Amino acid sequence: MSILVAKGLKKYYRSQGGLFLRGRQLVRAVDGVDIELRKGMTLGLVGESGCGKSTLARLLLRLEEPTEGTLEIDGTDFFALRGRELRRARRKIQMIFQDPYSSLNPRLTAGSTIAEGIKIHKLARGADVERRVGELLDKVGLPRTAYSRYPHEFSGGQRQRIGIARALAVEPDIVVADEPVSALDVSVQAQIINLLADLQSDLGLTYLFVAHDLGVVEHVSDRISVMYLGRIVESGPAVELFSSPLHPYTEGLLASIPSAKPGDRVRVAISGDVPSPVDIPAGCAFHTRCPKAFGRCSAETPRLREVSPGRCAACWLHVD
Amino acid sequence: MSGGRSLWSAGWARFRKNPLAMAAAVTVLALYLVAIFAPVLTPYDPVSHGDLPEMRHQPPSREHPLGTDKFGRDVLTRLIYGSRISLTVSFLAVTISVVLGSIVGSVAGYTGGIVDAVLMRMVDALMSIPRLFLMLTCIALFSRSFLLVTILLGATGWMGTARLVRGQILSLRGREFVSAVEALGAGSRRIVLRHLIPNVLTVIIVSATLKIGLIILVEAALSFLGLGVPPPTPSWGQMVYEGREVLLDAWWVSTFPGLAIVVTVVGYNLLGDGLRDSFDPVQFT
Repeated sequence: MSILVAKGLKKYYRSQGGLFLRGRQLVRAVDGVDIELRKGMTLGLVGESGCGKSTLARLLLRLEEPTEGTLEIDGTDFFALRGRELRRARRKIQMIFQDPYSSLNPRLTAGSTIAEGIKIHKLARGADVERRVGELLDKVGLPRTAYSRYPHEFSGGQRQRIGIARALAVEPDIVVADEPVSALDVSVQAQIINLLADLQSDLGLTYLFVAHDLGVVEHVSDRISVMYLGRIVESGPAVELFSSPLHPYTEGLLASIPSAKPGDRVRVAISGDVPSPVDIPAGCAFHTRCPKAFGRCSAETPRLREVSPGRCAACWLHVD
Repeated sequence: MSGGRSLWSAGWARFRKNPLAMAAAVTVLALYLVAIFAPVLTPYDPVSHGDLPEMRHQPPSREHPLGTDKFGRDVLTRLIYGSRISLTVSFLAVTISVVLGSIVGSVAGYTGGIVDAVLMRMVDALMSIPRLFLMLTCIALFSRSFLLVTILLGATGWMGTARLVRGQILSLRGREFVSAVEALGAGSRRIVLRHLIPNVLTVIIVSATLKIGLIILVEAALSFLGLGVPPPTPSWGQMVYEGREVLLDAWWVSTFPGLAIVVTVVGYNLLGDGLRDSFDPVQFT
C-alpha cells in the first residue's frame, strides 16, 4: 500500500543574473520525478552531489514550493494545503538532516528541542511533555541526563540521535532521512543506521533514505531509485538493482563502490563530472559520460519505463 | 537532572576572564549607581544658583572638589546629576532603536522578497539623511524636551541594527534547524521568536552596547549646540558648552564634564568589545 505518491515533481530555480550578466538562467534541480513510498518500506534514493536529491526531499516535506507536480500523503493532497491545515498535516512526514551541527538550535536544550513538536501539536501537556521526551530519549539510546544539556555538549552521533527523537516526537508515518550518516564517523554510521532500522520495525515507519553512497543504501533499502540531474534513471528492488543494474549510470555507481578483494574491480567507474543543472545535455542527460551511448541517446530523451516487472529504467538500451 | 552549560554561561565565563572588559563593566555599573544615588553623594543642589558673586568660577577646593561654574554651582554635583540625563537618554534611545531595528530587520530577513526589498530601500534612504541635520530640524519644529530628544535619538539610530539583524536572520534561515521546526509545523511567529531571535540576541546586545557610546556623544553634541535637554537641568554636553567661554580662566567647568563623556563612552565601547569577544556566535558554531 502506498502512503506517499508524488507525480511529475519539478523544481526550477532562476539563477540570479549579475548586473552585467544578462539573461537569468534556469536551474532544473528536480525535473519531473515520480516517486512512491510503500507503507513500512524503505526507498533508497541515490545520486551524485548536485543531482537534486536533497531538493526532492525538501519538496516532499514542502520545505520548498514545487514548480509543478502533485503530492499525495496518506490520501491528502499535500500541495493544496494552506496555513493551519498544512501545519497540522506536517506531522505525518518528518525529516532527519544531514548536518548534525546546523540541524539543532544551539540555544535550546536537547529536551526543549525534542519537546518542540509535542508542544506545537499539543500532544501532551504539563509534566506529560517531560515524560514523553524521556521516553523518546530512551528510544533513541540517549541517557535521560541529556534532557537539560545543550547541543554543543554532544558528539555528532548523539546530536543525530537528538534529531531523530525530534522527528519521532510528533509520531510521523514517514521519515525522510537526507544523508543522515554522511557527516558521521564510520563507526558511528553503523550505530545510527541500526537505530533507524530498529525504529522502523518498532514503529512501522516508512523511510525515504537519501544518500550519495550506494553501500549505505544497499544495507537499508527495500527498493532503490537512482537519480541523475533531476530525474530518476532507474528504480527497482534493492537486490536486483545491485545484482543486475539496467542503466549504465547505475552500473557506474556500483563500480565506484570500493571492493575489499584485490583485482575485483573489473567494471569501469564513471569518468568526468556531472554537467551543470543549468545546462543539462539534450537527449539522455547521461549520454556525455555514458560508455554505451549511441546515436539516439543525444537526440531523444528516454522516459522511465518498466523493463521487467517492478523494474524501471530510462535508457534506450532497454527499449525494444 | 543535571543542568547543562548554556551558551550564555559559557560566554559569561569567558567574559569574566577578560580584565579590560570587567573593568569596563564595573565602570559602567558604577556610573549607573552614581546616577541613582546622586542625592546621597553630594550635599549641593545641582540647579539653584549660589548667593554670592565670589562663589562663581571657584577653582577646585575642599568644599568644591571640581570647582564651581558661572552661577556658583558645584561642578561635581552637576556632573553627578548630569549622569542621570546622559545615561537615561542614551539607554532609552538605544532601547527604542534596538527594538525598532530588530523588528524591521527580522521581518525583512524572514519574509524576504518584496517586503525585504522595500524595507531595506527605506533603510538606505533614511541612512542617507545626515542624522544631526534631521534632529536639528525636528527640534526646531517642536519644542525642546527630554522626551523629544530621546525619541529622536532612538528613531534615527535603528537602521544599522535593522541591517545587522536582517543579515543574521538571513544566514540563520538557511540552517537546518529552522527547516526542522518548519517541518514540525511551527508557525512563523514561533520560528522567529523562539528559534531565530534568541540566536541573534547576543549580536543585538553587543551592537546596542557599542551604540550607547555613540548616542551619548550625539546627545552631548546636541546639548553643546544648545538643542539638547533644556537648562537648567544639568547635562554633560551643555556643561561643556557653558564652560567654553571661560576655558582659559576656569578650565574645570568644561574639562570635567568632557572627561566624564570620554570615560563613559570608552567604558561602553570596551564593554561592547568584551561582550562581543565573549558571546560572538561565530566562535562557537
